Amino acid sequence: MSERAAPAGPSALAPWLATIAAYVVPLGFVLAPMALFLVYSFFSVDHGSIVFSPTIANYVRFFTDPVFLPIFWRTCLLCFTVALLCVLFAFPVAYFLTTLRGRSRYMLLVLLLVPLLMSYVIKIYAVRSILGGNGMLNRALLATGLIDKPSMLFVFNLNAVLLTLTVLLIPFAVLPIFLSLERIPKALRHASADLGATNAQTFWRVTVPLSLPGTLSAMSFVFVLAIGDFLTPQMVGGQSGFTFGRIIYSQFGTAFNWPFGAALSVILAAVVILAIRLGGRLESKHGGAK
Amino acid sequence: MRFADRAAPALLITLTLFVFVLLYGPLMVPIVSSFFTVSHGAVDWSQPTTSAYVALTQNDSVLSALWTTLIVGAGAVVLSVALGTGLALYYASPHAKGRNFLQFIIFLPFLMPPIITGLALLIFFRQVEFERSLLTIIIGHTVFVLALVYRTILTRLQSLSGSLVEASYDLGASSWQTFRLILLPNLSSAMVGAAILAFALSFDETMITLLVTGTQSTLPVRLWAMMRLGFTPDINALVALVLLFTTVLCLVAVRYLMPASAISGSDDN
Repeated sequence: MSERAAPAGPSALAPWLATIAAYVVPLGFVLAPMALFLVYSFFSVDHGSIVFSPTIANYVRFFTDPVFLPIFWRTCLLCFTVALLCVLFAFPVAYFLTTLRGRSRYMLLVLLLVPLLMSYVIKIYAVRSILGGNGMLNRALLATGLIDKPSMLFVFNLNAVLLTLTVLLIPFAVLPIFLSLERIPKALRHASADLGATNAQTFWRVTVPLSLPGTLSAMSFVFVLAIGDFLTPQMVGGQSGFTFGRIIYSQFGTAFNWPFGAALSVILAAVVILAIRLGGRLESKHGGAK
Repeated sequence: MRFADRAAPALLITLTLFVFVLLYGPLMVPIVSSFFTVSHGAVDWSQPTTSAYVALTQNDSVLSALWTTLIVGAGAVVLSVALGTGLALYYASPHAKGRNFLQFIIFLPFLMPPIITGLALLIFFRQVEFERSLLTIIIGHTVFVLALVYRTILTRLQSLSGSLVEASYDLGASSWQTFRLILLPNLSSAMVGAAILAFALSFDETMITLLVTGTQSTLPVRLWAMMRLGFTPDINALVALVLLFTTVLCLVAVRYLMPASAISGSDDN
């Protein structure tokens, strides 16, 4: 550890030793597994054992089988909706935060950060206890007389997954939006007011466009977190709430088809990279304009 | 427009309150229920009891899961802080080769969904015939939290003035002395903050753990198995305790990191 820790010393060998030491873990435990994973997606399974000869059969299966592609699109749509909902909830919160000053702003920010570090499975469990057939939401709706028997609209199906993911991921959307709102120079808003714009006009024509990069990166961020999740659909999705992540997970459990699971994950990774690039690209484009 | 100007702040406050209810409201259900007994799927509100908490202290599977979680957390913290510090120093040193490539690899497990990191490690361990054990969980967690630890320490390192290090060399200090006497004291609070964050992340990590674990379960994995069976006071008691613990941890981490690096650190995503 010490030769890596020390800034390169006078000896000519030291920088090389440091380089080797710095690369060992990232290459050995991140890049190598990821590369192996890609290779595995070109293998196949025969009678419960893995056949190590290259084939594109897994990818062909994904694109031709009537099961996987619809679930894939449905999951993408679900996660996009989650991202949209999260941003709709997060934007007012982030905006409200920017109107606060000093201690109250700091406190509210911390209160928003705390759920980020809270156990993910516990949050799913808590939301499930609200959503269930006998859960708080149904009981509240019954008590107010809005419905006369428990609604099954959000009990162990895709809607439950949608609602749970939205509640879980809102805090992740607040931060990027808050940061982009905070970066808007006050002078721009003052200038807009000086030129006779009303508050609403300033909001829609100055603040919202300038916060767009943060909003879009929040969306891509939430989308990525939602699409990779397999715990939420497993816990609240029931029989009908099958998502792409859940199918991948089952390939490594009950279905036992690791190469096919690897191929599905490669497709997932491609979607994730696309979403990150889309979020980041728009951010740099809009960021450059201001 | 006048009306809109006056209505807007009220609407903002209402929406913000609503979001806070969404975030914290559900958590109150298991916490409050943990003090009551559940029979036939319904909570008996008539008399509060702490029996669920007492029962937890005799639940061996929960206690051993807690122990596993603590060992894994400690291992991942030590490894990730040591590695993260080393890598941050390497990144900042003038001799670094392929800086951005190296940084990209470090960020990969954090950018990619955990299911991908977990599966990649699972296949890797199987291929090199590395038995799945406590060690594989520690490696999985280390790889996962490394990005955050590295980034936190690098942010602090880059905020230090370069002239500090130059002055140290000018005064004849060796690179080891410079590291120990100049850099380390300046980095220590970032390292502590990063360590706490890393521990908190490791404490909650479920998806990677589920994939790379052998027979051991960490606390979230154990909870996950219990939760699939239903809604019981002992799960609720455990949930309440875990929430209390992570909240305290988070507040402590915030104290170490908040003003400067926590906000800018989370900006990368």
